[in-house]
Amino acid sequence: MNIYVINGPNINLLGTREPEIYGHETLDSISKDCIKKGLKDGHDVKFMQSNYEGEIVEWIQHAIKEKIDAIVINAAAYTHTSIAIHDALKSFSGFKIELHISNPHLRESFRHVSYISPVVDAVVAGLGANGYSHVIELLADLQKSYK
Amino acid sequence: MNNRLLIINGPGLSDLSRFNEFGHDDLTLEKVQKKCSETCESLGLSLEFCQSDDEAELTNYLTRACIEFDALIINPVSYSHASSLDFDIYTSNIETVTLQNKPVIEVHIANIFQKGVDVTKPIKVSEGNVGFVSGFGIHSYELAIRAVHRKLREN
Repeated sequence: MNIYVINGPNINLLGTREPEIYGHETLDSISKDCIKKGLKDGHDVKFMQSNYEGEIVEWIQHAIKEKIDAIVINAAAYTHTSIAIHDALKSFSGFKIELHISNPHLRESFRHVSYISPVVDAVVAGLGANGYSHVIELLADLQKSYK
Repeated sequence: MNNRLLIINGPGLSDLSRFNEFGHDDLTLEKVQKKCSETCESLGLSLEFCQSDDEAELTNYLTRACIEFDALIINPVSYSHASSLDFDIYTSNIETVTLQNKPVIEVHIANIFQKGVDVTKPIKVSEGNVGFVSGFGIHSYELAIRAVHRKLREN
């Protein structure tokens, strides 16, 4: 199984940016943990991060072209603004999961709307940095049970 | 002693046939309960699994969660966004549980944002420090149980 984990703006600051909300773990340590977990079950997990909306759209288009099996996307602030990411995800027919480290619904009202949620299969929020590895583990298990 | 987990299923969840249209076929609450029991057993959690259509009873369960349990997973169905007095009672009860630093996760079988939802009109979800898992079918519960287990271990 090929899995893209796409991260949006400011996620590169994990570990230093508002740690009381986002925790002390860095994106690098999260990605190493997930890649290792994936490899154990024979899955190829790729982590990417960009502060640019267009680059995220291009990665999703790339996932469509390469027939990637699943996208886990933490679009961060673009979650609440980006119709372009909404449209790109709509064209991706693999399994799609929206992920947030905190629970946006419990924060400022401008974070209560998500353009991503209606076009994904599942939403995971508020499980902290561990959310990533929980999702990778579940995807690996799901694939085993469908084999 | 094992950590104690309470899983509450809200109004209407005794019949899961309506989830067929979301692609979660042949689900029954018994199957969900069986899956949850298996997952909890493998992680060394003791589980109480309940369902009620009655709001007073749900409030009682939430009160019990504060006293008798270490963690809570709740599928509130529409109860969580009823935008009414009931909703206020519900969220304040959930908040009481989270204030004790007990992990609480709201789960839904289907992706509640997916069908015919106007994204510009946000859905209310539980307040308090609550995790959220929606759309994995029966596996929403599985993921939530694992997340609760990890949180309890870290606390």
